[in-house]
Amino acid sequence: MVEIPVKIERQGTWHGSKITVDKEQITIPPPYNLQIPYRQIIDLTERKNILTLTLKGPSETTLSLATVPKALLVLKKMIIISCSAYRLAAYFMSPAIRGGVMVTDAQWEKGSIAVLKTGIWFVGEEKQVSIPLNDVAGIELTKRDVQKKQVDVVKIDHLENTDVVTSFVLCPLSTLHVLFNFLKDATKDMDMRGDELDPVSAQVGMLIYSGMDSHAIETMLSVSNKELESIYDKLLKLGLIEVRYIRREVQLTPKGVRFITEAVKPPAE
Amino acid sequence: MGKILIVDDTLFMRTLLKNILFSGGHTIAGEAADGDDAIEKYRELKPDIVTMDVVMPKMNGIDALKGIKALDPNARVIMCTAVGQEQMVKLAIKSGARGYIVKPFQAPKVLDEIKNILES
Repeated sequence: MVEIPVKIERQGTWHGSKITVDKEQITIPPPYNLQIPYRQIIDLTERKNILTLTLKGPSETTLSLATVPKALLVLKKMIIISCSAYRLAAYFMSPAIRGGVMVTDAQWEKGSIAVLKTGIWFVGEEKQVSIPLNDVAGIELTKRDVQKKQVDVVKIDHLENTDVVTSFVLCPLSTLHVLFNFLKDATKDMDMRGDELDPVSAQVGMLIYSGMDSHAIETMLSVSNKELESIYDKLLKLGLIEVRYIRREVQLTPKGVRFITEAVKPPAE
Repeated sequence: MGKILIVDDTLFMRTLLKNILFSGGHTIAGEAADGDDAIEKYRELKPDIVTMDVVMPKMNGIDALKGIKALDPNARVIMCTAVGQEQMVKLAIKSGARGYIVKPFQAPKVLDEIKNILES
């Protein structure tokens, strides 16, 4: 049994409290007076230091908890291991590539994957990685060298804040297919045909991916301000970009990241 | 800040890398569009770092990397390739590459990698 000081969000305001975390449930003292068995938790999301739990019931309710990173690790681990989720034992490597740069000390970690309502979690001895389905930019069944053998893995491209991160999952082939099909299906709205964008618009997308601003894009592609505005409109309409801060600066959505990643792939031999 | 040689067969990628590297305060030593030209330019310009595309006409990036390493065993070369060609990583690392970038890439991460390699 562990006691964790937290802040709890209720009706838009945060209140301090001390919750008790044991093997079966989380207990929140008065005035909340709640006992939450882990099995009642059907979803878990994390933004910065805030965990949001979705609880099963006649109507789904959510509860947000904020605490320090060290306590958050304990809390997350207990919830992910015991909540209501589809679980599979797996090895994972996350991140393997960040922003296009290979992470040289990336290693396979033994752990499990929990598939929840709005995302998946990798849980290892030291690390927990959350990938919200909304942030999944690409999924691929591919092969990778593991101990001098080519083995099947699932490659997941996902957004972590503004970084595009690639992670790999390794598990028995049948389970790998279940995971792949689940992710593919859950993100099918992001699929696009290659011919939906003309080459110049695709190049604009690629430059946004790389972090170029509007001025640099105009100069590099020799397009006028007006032409770029109309390309942005097209990309906005397709859901590939979203406006950041002001009208003229944009960033790619997960759908946009998926499109650009697919667009730069070499043709199949 | 470093003096960098950019090797890529497409003008678009060379321009993109040039913009990214300029924004990080680096100087562009020169550009090459194939492996042969890369070795020649390396000999001539002695850059601090080379960013080398893997798939190029005439001589590919791996062979150009080997050629540059033969000229200068301490040469710092970062390989750059499209997603889906990660199997080249091992070959490149074995041939002496110091880093590996997968296209598409994000500017801040590329600049971090360049900085790490310059400081190493």
